[in-house]
Amino acid sequence: MAEVRINSVSKLFGEVKAVDNFNAVIRDGEFVSILGPSGCGKTTMLRMIAGFEKPSLGEIYIGEQLVSSAAKSLFVPPEKRNIGMVFQSYAVWPHMTVFDNVAYPLKIKGYSKNDIKSKTDKALELVHLDGYAARIPSQLSGGQQQRVALARALVSEPKLLLLDEPLSNLDAKLRESMRFEIKDLQKKLKITVIYVTHDQGEAMAMSDRIVVMNKGVIQQIGTPTDVYETPANRIIADFIGLVNFLPGEIKDGMATIPGLGLSLAAPEVPAGAATVAIRPENITIGRAGGRLSGTLVHKFYLGDAVDWRVEAGGFILRVIDKGMEHDDYRLGDTVSLDIKKYLVFPGQP
Amino acid sequence: MINRARLMSLDAKWAVIIVAVSVLVVFTVIPMLYLIFRSMLVDGALDLTTYREVYSNLVNWKAFINTFKISLIVTLLSVIISFPLAWLVGRTDLPGKGFFRTVFIASYMIPPYVGAIAWTQLLNPNAGYLNEWLVHTFNLASSPFDIYGMGGLIWCLTLFHSPFAFITISRALEKMDPSLEEASRVSGASPLRTLWNVTLPLMFPSIFAGGVLVFIGVGSAFGIPAIVGMPAQIEVLTTRIVTYVYLGTGKGIKDATALAVSLMLAANFILYASTWLIAGKDYVTIGGKSTRPGLVELGVWKWPLFGLVSLYGLFAVFLPLGSIVVTSLIKSLSRPIALDNLSFATWLAALKNDQYMEPLWNSFVAAAITATLATVIALFIAYLLIKTKVSGRTLPDSLSTLGGATPSIVIALALIITFSGEFGLNLYSTLAILVIGYMVKYLTMAVRTIAASLSQVHPSLEEAALNSGASWLRSLKDIMLPLIAPSIVAGWFLVFMPSFYELTMSIILYGAKTKTIGVLLYELQTYADPQDASVLAVIVLLIVLIGNIILRKVSKGAVGI
Ligand SMILES: Nc1ncnc2c1ncn2[C@@H]1O[C@H](COP(=O)(O)OP(=O)(O)OP(=O)(O)O)[C@@H](O)[C@H]1O
Ligand SMILES: [Mg+2]
Repeated sequence: MAEVRINSVSKLFGEVKAVDNFNAVIRDGEFVSILGPSGCGKTTMLRMIAGFEKPSLGEIYIGEQLVSSAAKSLFVPPEKRNIGMVFQSYAVWPHMTVFDNVAYPLKIKGYSKNDIKSKTDKALELVHLDGYAARIPSQLSGGQQQRVALARALVSEPKLLLLDEPLSNLDAKLRESMRFEIKDLQKKLKITVIYVTHDQGEAMAMSDRIVVMNKGVIQQIGTPTDVYETPANRIIADFIGLVNFLPGEIKDGMATIPGLGLSLAAPEVPAGAATVAIRPENITIGRAGGRLSGTLVHKFYLGDAVDWRVEAGGFILRVIDKGMEHDDYRLGDTVSLDIKKYLVFPGQP
Repeated sequence: MINRARLMSLDAKWAVIIVAVSVLVVFTVIPMLYLIFRSMLVDGALDLTTYREVYSNLVNWKAFINTFKISLIVTLLSVIISFPLAWLVGRTDLPGKGFFRTVFIASYMIPPYVGAIAWTQLLNPNAGYLNEWLVHTFNLASSPFDIYGMGGLIWCLTLFHSPFAFITISRALEKMDPSLEEASRVSGASPLRTLWNVTLPLMFPSIFAGGVLVFIGVGSAFGIPAIVGMPAQIEVLTTRIVTYVYLGTGKGIKDATALAVSLMLAANFILYASTWLIAGKDYVTIGGKSTRPGLVELGVWKWPLFGLVSLYGLFAVFLPLGSIVVTSLIKSLSRPIALDNLSFATWLAALKNDQYMEPLWNSFVAAAITATLATVIALFIAYLLIKTKVSGRTLPDSLSTLGGATPSIVIALALIITFSGEFGLNLYSTLAILVIGYMVKYLTMAVRTIAASLSQVHPSLEEAALNSGASWLRSLKDIMLPLIAPSIVAGWFLVFMPSFYELTMSIILYGAKTKTIGVLLYELQTYADPQDASVLAVIVLLIVLIGNIILRKVSKGAVGI
């Protein structure tokens, strides 16, 4: 059982509150990403789970074991937490062969020679590095080094795997394929994974749930669909995916955008200033029959889609269209826009 | 337009290469070759009799063995002390570690002979401060320690040469990606096991390099062996060489050359062999974005270790400095240290004494001229090395490195035999020969500093200037100089400071009118005038300290040797 429970954990570095009242339960076998902009405290939170930092406040449980408690001054050092960890810089030891790198946790734990050999070979096979055992790390590519790190983290069969931006040093193609490899491994081994990233694509593709952080504070915990389709606030809407923000006003449960002549139902938002958020792919362009009319001012051809800028009522809206016959449209054309989905948040943009 | 600019720049570059190479060849290569040549020549024929004769003299043979033995012991001690110190200060929650780090790094700037002078004040068998204190505190019958002897020699050499190991090792430790160690911790290894399995092996190349630095430094050292060893009849190669030169006879010089060549060959062999040995093993630079290292908690060991580190700081820095300052202020050496026994009388007398102020001024002038010349030459050498693809661009740099790697005493001896009129150039006992000596030895410091900063300047900046029609020299002046100005200032001070307090070369190269502060201090020490020596030592330390503060300011803490 490797459920991770984080109760009201805060971490202060002097005056800086790197993590502020973090509460989360990560279930056994779950893949959870911690997502947020640079400096928001993701690494700090992960390092507290690993045992490299002590929480200033709060408690952390791994499985049934209390591993950190500020109030009880209890702290289990990283070597006693029985976790696997993969670092952004690979942290593969350059003075050891691939085999020795991967076998290291087993040697430390005092396994027999035969066990070490068979378990290490198995781990190398798992990450598709069989045949590389005798190499030294400087003879490996970045992607292969990261696989060594992965094998080393998994070799002693931990119940919990922590990864801190493990793919950010790899090129785009490799990053993409490694995502699926990691996800595959997790499913195969049924381990709990906590994965830190600032790449929303990564988080969306791999996670069961995403913890979105900003400035040390959790903004939302939810499935990828949740955080994308119903972001809890403007910060998340802005951070995850693309979005048009329009200033509006709420009156009698309706959001109106002055200048645009648009009214949208928003029964749950309190009266007053509001922000209407519309994702570019939720606006469609047509000749007629839409709710708005606008003028096409820019066109960026992306291959699989067209990224338009449309002027409407003094606003420039971004519209991404994947299916339309874009050749029929010319810049300067007056078009009709329809809105498929939108969100309304209280307060000015 | 562009073509002409390119053509001219090529000419200017060639001119610069030729000038730089000839200066280095004339003052580094020729003197050293001539030194070797002279040592192997008897009556116009190649002959190794001089070597046989020199080493059949037991004193010289012992000096050779001593040099090797002492260097080895001091190197081992330095490494054994420096690695744990660097680790404690860089990776643990040792109280006051920032302070200790600054102190240990800064202690490189205590000239070794000043350290030796201080320890003779603390531990001479007659009235050493520390000896007296021990006798009083523990009711001993006699002084427990005598600084003059093998033990004292090794003690002083270790204290004042190990900063170079400490600096090398702690820099490397700071550059090492801490996740390498953290990966070992999550693998289940305790902090100590991690230290043993990961940190130590990864640091080995740097530890080795630091050790080599100490080994060669100690083997070439003259100040400490002369002050602490010679009174106890312990001789090393450098002291033997100086003794032979001071004989002033042709035979004396000849014997000195044989010893110097042995020293030079040994030093260069060790340097190049070690570079070759650890080539490609510099693990430390491997690794990505560094995180802040998690600190190892020392737990119950925290305060005992704090005590040990403090004690080392006390021996390496605070006691010696305190001793020098107190001695410079004391009224009567026969009375105990107390407030009513302190005054500025020695200071005032020393400051008015022309025989003291003149050497101080000489050193200042010689060091300033050296630093200025060296910075200009270094600028061109570094430029060639980093910014051009001209073939032969590495030659001036290699020559300056060779100078820096050659023991000072060898450089001095080579210069003196080459430029005493033998080849029409007589620089004997002029300021010029001091400047040349300092330059050969310390030029590489300026080259390294400026080259490092030049390599940070993106080539496009200069190309833009060239494309707008500026000549090469013009673009150097308008674009490069302002960008690398801080490193030029830093390079200047890195040459100025060691030149200013230089002793080993000066003791051979100085003349009646060009005595330097290092030589004066050495004389005062040997003629047993500890108080005046202390005043001057404090002045030297103050000047070096100010130089270092300026250095840290301009380089924003990046340089400080
Ligand atoms: N050891 C430390 N001492 C002081 N401040 C720290 C320390 N570690 C982190 N911080 C600060 O805490 C905040 C959060 O840092 P953290 O490394 O957790 O961010 P992050 O979300 O991982 O960012 P990134 O995406 O850039 O890796 C930052 O403001 C950082 O400067
Ligand atoms: Mg981070």
